[in-house]
Amino acid sequence: MKVVIIGAGEVGFHIASRIAYEQKEVVVIDTDENALRRVSESIDVQAIKGSGSSPSVLKQAGIENADILLAVTDSDQINIVSCLFADYISPKTLKLVRLRDSDFIAYNDALQTFSPHIHTIINPDVEAVKTIERFMKVPGAVDVGDLADGKIQLIGIRLEKESPLLGLKLMDMPRMQNAGHFLIAAVIRKEMLIIPRGNDVLAEDDLVYIVCESQHLTQTMNMLKVDITPVKRVMLVGGGRVGFRMAMSLEKQSIKTKIIEKNPEICQKLAEKLDKVMVLQGDGTDQSLLIEENIQDMDMVITLTGDEEINILSSLLAKRMGARSNITRISKFSYFPLVEAIGIDHIVSPRLSAVNTILQHIREGNVLSAVSIKSEQAEVLEANVPENSKVCGKMLQKIGFPKGALVVGIVRKNNAFIPTGSSLIQINDRIIVFATREVIPKIEKLLTVQLKYH
Amino acid sequence: MRWRYILFFVGILSIFLGLTMIIPFIYSIICHDNSARPILLSASITEISGLLLFFGFRFKNNDYISPREGIAIVALGWIATGFFSALPFYFGNAFNTFTDSFFESVSGITTTGASVMTNIEGVTPSLLLWRSFIQWLGGMGIIVLSLAILPLLGVGGMQMYKAEVPSPIPDKLKPRIRDTAMILWKVYAGITIAEILFLLIGGMSIYDAMNHAFTTMPTGGFSTKNLSVAHYDSVYIETVITIFMILAGINFSLHYQMLLGKPLAFWKDSECRFFLCFLLIVTLIITINIFPVYDSIGKAFRYASFQVVSIVTTTGYGSADYELWPGMSQMILLLCMFIGASAGSTGGGMKCLRVMIYFKYCYKELISLIHPRAVRQIKVNSQPVSSDVVSSVLGFLGLFVGLFAISSVLLASMGVDIVTSFSAVASAIGNIGPGLGTVGPTENYAGLPAMGKWLLVWCMLLGRLEIYTIIILLIPEFWRK
Repeated sequence: MKVVIIGAGEVGFHIASRIAYEQKEVVVIDTDENALRRVSESIDVQAIKGSGSSPSVLKQAGIENADILLAVTDSDQINIVSCLFADYISPKTLKLVRLRDSDFIAYNDALQTFSPHIHTIINPDVEAVKTIERFMKVPGAVDVGDLADGKIQLIGIRLEKESPLLGLKLMDMPRMQNAGHFLIAAVIRKEMLIIPRGNDVLAEDDLVYIVCESQHLTQTMNMLKVDITPVKRVMLVGGGRVGFRMAMSLEKQSIKTKIIEKNPEICQKLAEKLDKVMVLQGDGTDQSLLIEENIQDMDMVITLTGDEEINILSSLLAKRMGARSNITRISKFSYFPLVEAIGIDHIVSPRLSAVNTILQHIREGNVLSAVSIKSEQAEVLEANVPENSKVCGKMLQKIGFPKGALVVGIVRKNNAFIPTGSSLIQINDRIIVFATREVIPKIEKLLTVQLKYH
Repeated sequence: MRWRYILFFVGILSIFLGLTMIIPFIYSIICHDNSARPILLSASITEISGLLLFFGFRFKNNDYISPREGIAIVALGWIATGFFSALPFYFGNAFNTFTDSFFESVSGITTTGASVMTNIEGVTPSLLLWRSFIQWLGGMGIIVLSLAILPLLGVGGMQMYKAEVPSPIPDKLKPRIRDTAMILWKVYAGITIAEILFLLIGGMSIYDAMNHAFTTMPTGGFSTKNLSVAHYDSVYIETVITIFMILAGINFSLHYQMLLGKPLAFWKDSECRFFLCFLLIVTLIITINIFPVYDSIGKAFRYASFQVVSIVTTTGYGSADYELWPGMSQMILLLCMFIGASAGSTGGGMKCLRVMIYFKYCYKELISLIHPRAVRQIKVNSQPVSSDVVSSVLGFLGLFVGLFAISSVLLASMGVDIVTSFSAVASAIGNIGPGLGTVGPTENYAGLPAMGKWLLVWCMLLGRLEIYTIIILLIPEFWRK
């Protein structure tokens, strides 16, 4: 298993570290020596200096026997050209590309069908917007993820004083309302991830990951006293690529939206393209502007400028002035742990979204999707049960799942449900497994057929 | 400003106009109505003047025409056309004075439809055909027609086209102006033929059907009957004419799109939507208001819809005497005279598009009071409207209202009563036809003083060429070298 990554930026770096952790062979190509040094010093990968668009550099990286090529530099053009040459040199290599320019979206099919035969195109802006939309579905949650094509939802909630889950033993859960439709998958207590067992008791300030069937989401959230009041008024700060895309999406959903942008020329362009969204020229950290535009009535403030310090400041300011909830765009992964401590509700990072999407796509074969939670300590894997697997036809409680892994969902034909200990696994089922990073290899073995990178 | 060029082009237009007089001439010979001789005389005068100008000022026709010269050609071309078209009426003794002939002729080519004929049915059929025909020529524009069929006007055509069709947001259907003009005339002629056929089915004679189609499509409004469309008292004919008046009031490039196979073109265009909704709402209000007059909701709707469509599209036919209606309905009709039809149609008035842009501008100003830092862009059909266009629209509306005010004061100063002077000027500047008071739908403009008629001629030209092209002639800077 060999992976070539072009571009050692945040996305390249994180994917490299994730894959390298799983004992795969990784080669990273970049023109920037500093970026390469960071990669080679902290992860066990091979670093090559040069441009990914150069055929000789690709050959040097051993593209001929690479299984996957990831082109994730900042330049769309370099990414495409790298794939083009990789396609000539080694047609069987799977190519995943990050493309940001929305002009290319209409030609995605062409890029996939014809040369350079790109397997998957990832647009981080689109992924970021999707992430924000998931957050908006459950404003009271800390984290929201889709599983099984959105039929099952993974929701992270912070337990507050009035939460009905407080002080509850997990083995008592089945006596609760809606009990069959949700499951507690993981608890994060003091930055530590615990896959809970029956005797564990939930405490205040725990971050609890709940898996829930989508059609019962509303009842379950109501029962758990999690805020799911629909978002009706949104204030966006920053009208760049992500901001504009978000505004377009909100406009389509008829959510009353205001967008603040500093640059008058960008404001003019936004005003030309947006019909219902109100474009405001000004600074997201300007109190008088926020007062003028009734920040206290906003259900959600989403800060999406390119400057994360400004994003953090305006989110905090808006929250202080009465906005119900906020989503903040932060690019530097090193800021993530800080975020919750200072009162930011959600973070969105186009790069993190891109990393997650890429991981989902490279886990082809038996694993259909993967969502990582809580600074990558755990992953949710969605896998087909192969016919020759020894788990087929067994009850869940009879299968010796390793400690640290939990089956949280089963997809059978077009239905998805939350299993109990007595659920049977059948051929052609897809199972959703919540697992800490350490036990992923064990699960691979358990499912007999190895989790393959294609 | 090169007079030589201007007079040369006016010469071409005159030659062309003279040739079209063959149509009433032939008709006159066929039906022996004693108008053949005066029409031939007029045609000869027009033709000779045209040829003199043409050969006198001939030049190698590949020079650049400046926008200024384009404007002068269009303005003088229209005045000359008005003059020569008046000759058949004058020599044919349809009127006693040349003023009346000229008024009738300009009212025709500008598609106003205001008449000084006291007994229309007493005039010879060939002259009435000429009267309808010049309205048809003026509807799509004589310059546009010349561009379409005369290769001579090829160079500088764009300048003249812009001066004659000053739509706030110009849409060129084809890269070449000549092809655009050709398409517009083909669509125009096609719809006219369709209307003739529909009117024939309704039992009109071929002569009446042609005359009415010739005056419906340019939203003119000349009828061959004293009572206008009320003469026929037929629901079918009124319905056909109403539908074709609406078609004539819609942007012709939408008709073209429709013919290219985009059936939703009308509804997708926000101006057209505005126009249709406006017609519907006003019709419903007036129907309710005049219900007591007719005692039948069907009749009230029939008369209301016809009159509303006729006024809003600036046609000016009558099927009922709206002066018998309640004051509210009359007031609404009077205000409708200002709005007018769509831009790029044959209708007059301020044009829906301008009114829409104006309302959007007002709304934007109001919003900016509530949200001082809001950046808003005025859009039509989700396309941004540039601030140049917005300011030209505001300028246009200002001039329109200002000129209307001055002209109505001038008309009142000639001893005409308030209601008449107000409505006559509104009607003339909006190219509608009938007004209120002594120029109401059952009366005509014959009783106005001669000076008043000249004033209205000026207003009609102002309205037809959308103010700027005519008013600019009064600016000394325009004539300076």
